[in-house]
Amino acid sequence: MPADITVVERIAERGARAGAIGDVVFRALTFLFALFVLLILGGVIVALIDGAWPAFRTFGLSFVVTEVWNPVTEKFGALAPIYGTLVTSAIAMLVGIPVAFGVAVFITEICPLWVKRPLATMIELLAAIPSIIYGIWGLFVFAPFVQQYIQPAIIDTLGQVPGIGALFAGPPLGIGVLTAGFILAIMVLPFISSIMRDVFETVPPMLKESAYGLGATRAEVVWQVVLPFTRVGVVGGIMLGLGRALGETMAVTFVIGNAHRISASILQPGTTISASLANEFTEAFGDLYRSSLIALGFILFVITFIVLAIAKLMLLRLQKRAGG
Amino acid sequence: MSPTQAAARLAMPLVPSDPDVADLATMPRQKAVIRNVDFFYDNFQALKNVSLPLHDKRVTAFIGPSGCGKSTLLRILNRIYQLYPGQRATGEVLVDGENILAPGVDLNLLRARIGMVFQKPTPFPMSIYDNIAFGIRLYERLPHSELDDRVESALRRAALWDEVRDKLRQSGLSLSGGQQQRLCIARAVAVQPEILLLDEPASALDPLSTQRIEELIAELKADYCIAIVTHNMQQAARSSDYTAFMYVGELIEFDETERIFTHPKEKHTEDYITGRFG
Amino acid sequence: MDLYARRRVVNGVVMTLSVAATAFGLLWLVLVLWTLLENGIAAITPALFSQMTPPPGSAGGLLNAIFGSVVMTLIATLIGTPTGILAGTFLAEYSRGSRFGEVVRFINDILLSAPSIIVGLFVYELLVVHMGHFSAWAGAVALAIIVIPVVVRTTEDMLNLVPNALREAAAALGSPKWKVIVMVSYRAAIQGMVTGVMLAVARIAGETAPLLFTALNNQFWSTDLNAPMANLPVVIFQFAMSPYADWQVLAWGGALLITLTVLFLNIGARMLASWSTFKQ
Repeated sequence: MPADITVVERIAERGARAGAIGDVVFRALTFLFALFVLLILGGVIVALIDGAWPAFRTFGLSFVVTEVWNPVTEKFGALAPIYGTLVTSAIAMLVGIPVAFGVAVFITEICPLWVKRPLATMIELLAAIPSIIYGIWGLFVFAPFVQQYIQPAIIDTLGQVPGIGALFAGPPLGIGVLTAGFILAIMVLPFISSIMRDVFETVPPMLKESAYGLGATRAEVVWQVVLPFTRVGVVGGIMLGLGRALGETMAVTFVIGNAHRISASILQPGTTISASLANEFTEAFGDLYRSSLIALGFILFVITFIVLAIAKLMLLRLQKRAGG
Repeated sequence: MSPTQAAARLAMPLVPSDPDVADLATMPRQKAVIRNVDFFYDNFQALKNVSLPLHDKRVTAFIGPSGCGKSTLLRILNRIYQLYPGQRATGEVLVDGENILAPGVDLNLLRARIGMVFQKPTPFPMSIYDNIAFGIRLYERLPHSELDDRVESALRRAALWDEVRDKLRQSGLSLSGGQQQRLCIARAVAVQPEILLLDEPASALDPLSTQRIEELIAELKADYCIAIVTHNMQQAARSSDYTAFMYVGELIEFDETERIFTHPKEKHTEDYITGRFG
Repeated sequence: MDLYARRRVVNGVVMTLSVAATAFGLLWLVLVLWTLLENGIAAITPALFSQMTPPPGSAGGLLNAIFGSVVMTLIATLIGTPTGILAGTFLAEYSRGSRFGEVVRFINDILLSAPSIIVGLFVYELLVVHMGHFSAWAGAVALAIIVIPVVVRTTEDMLNLVPNALREAAAALGSPKWKVIVMVSYRAAIQGMVTGVMLAVARIAGETAPLLFTALNNQFWSTDLNAPMANLPVVIFQFAMSPYADWQVLAWGGALLITLTVLFLNIGARMLASWSTFKQ
């Protein structure tokens, strides 16, 4: 029982006042830092536009569709890097999505329980390996291998088919758009697979059990129950992987060959926006050269922002539907 | 208190007055009065015009089927609902004559005077000692030895001291469910409150622990005004002095426990007590 | 073939392909790690840790690069962690359903996946241009900008896992909100938050692109934070792309060091996470 109420009240009031001040200060502090996150993005946009402005002013919108990239004559065009970015990412998606899907299905539906955790961890380690490691591995190990075995095989088979043969024309260099795209695939598949796994796990077991109870095979349950249920999340995950692929720098820089031109064949070297930046920025002479590179960065930012925003909105919609 | 004052308190409308009681001084004093209280979760009205008293040094039980508003009512008493926007209460709750629902009431000070124990045991992720000391440290600067004494006395009141005296530095999470709940009770009484609110304190516990909690409540009522929400009617009948039966947000009947359970005035109350619904 | 037999074949094919896909993924993991080990182990000598990056054609080590990476990672963590924790706390504890909170969360997730080379460009425009030179500070800031969204996300997620009943119990004792957060919520979420920081550090340990335009590189030993500073990723980039065998060997050594650090942090973070759930 409170022995001396007035004493307790006196101390308590002091504590309460201090607590109230503490609340105001702490809330303001956390608010400030949350605002700071917004400011970072705002700063990025402002800095990019500011740096890219001279290039856009000089070349106008034709910058985006010009292939020429000549530092000496100061004629710059973003077409080759944009093309390379899009094509390598497309290859990454083409190879990565089915593999990621297969991994996700295996981990959620097939593999025994005791294997799940370590397996999932190992696949996620693929994502943890830094980009530059993939780059150096790609340059010294993978590209020579591709040059010796894979590319000659492709040239001899697919390269001979009339029509699409141009896509696979030689000579076999090892490095090139296809190699870069393939390494990108390995790098993004753990991201896509991890999100697919998460959304697959949200399917209510009872839903799957009803399907199994009707005699459906595993493949049918996955294709006709799990996938439609998680459709939005799967697409969101794919877009997230795409966002990663578009912005990936070091792995691509090592193996893409850094040629500012568009070739019909994906076995030839090319360049991506991030590879151009990585290779040329520190040695860029002249304001227009540098500004053109920053303009490339701005374009990349816009593309990835749009892709990531769409991915986020889709995943948010899925969360809302699941009541999360 | 003079006999006149005691008589004045007795004139409160809702207090059942027993004309056979000779000694006015032992008549239970009203510690808190709930008057015409409504409660809203956004647009949904969860409590409709509820009025009842809480007597000091007595146990008042709130019973009723799920969703009747008994927990909601309890949570008004320490305004814990204010942690959540969209929840609001109107009406008055007078504690020792002061309306605690008035704007300008310091919520933290209020909650230091009115303690609460929740349905599931909620030990903080710290040592047993720090759990008890947490509330004390909020408002008092005590020398180490005095703090030790306060912690010990709180643990004794909760009938937990003998079991934890040698492991005060261990984490509160290392205790069993029943012990954790007694830890929460000790934590609540450590700040020396005037009213104790117990929200189904034994519902998550096994029967043996439940019994110990009930014994504890019987001891604690000597010093505190206790309000307890329970869905267990036998528990209410055993442990409480007054009972409030609620249904869909309304107070159906309030009376001394013995009378409610033997001669309920409302048919609804009788139906609930005899198990016809709920 | 009757319908049922065909369905069984399809099922078998799909299942086999899933297993193959998983094996495919694991194959590359093993290949990359194996070749890394194979090529990098030759470089792991005492000289690696005691000598500076050499000019082309001579032997040397990576001491200045290791030092630079450690220093910049440390500074980035010191800047980014409190920032991220406080912002994440705002999202979890103060922004229930508010528009502002939703916007911050959205933007944070964009920053989380944004190309790190863009971050490098941003810090270049912000710091390098204004200071007139590359510096370790700029490098650390660029890395911090990568740390922040990771820590914000994990802090918010971990704080959201703390049951409301715990907060109510603290509030019911009369605790002001900030004490509820700092003394109860943080303590309850501490393991998850530490895991988040470890993962963020693992992420920046291998980042090259943001350092390319900020800290650049430095052939010599330097402790001057205001000057370009050597760091492992950029050194690897330079050495690996070069035609010199000595440099290439060092590049593999550096790559092995980074990978071991990253794997160690990742696995450590996972073990910490599962240990905490076990303790509950």
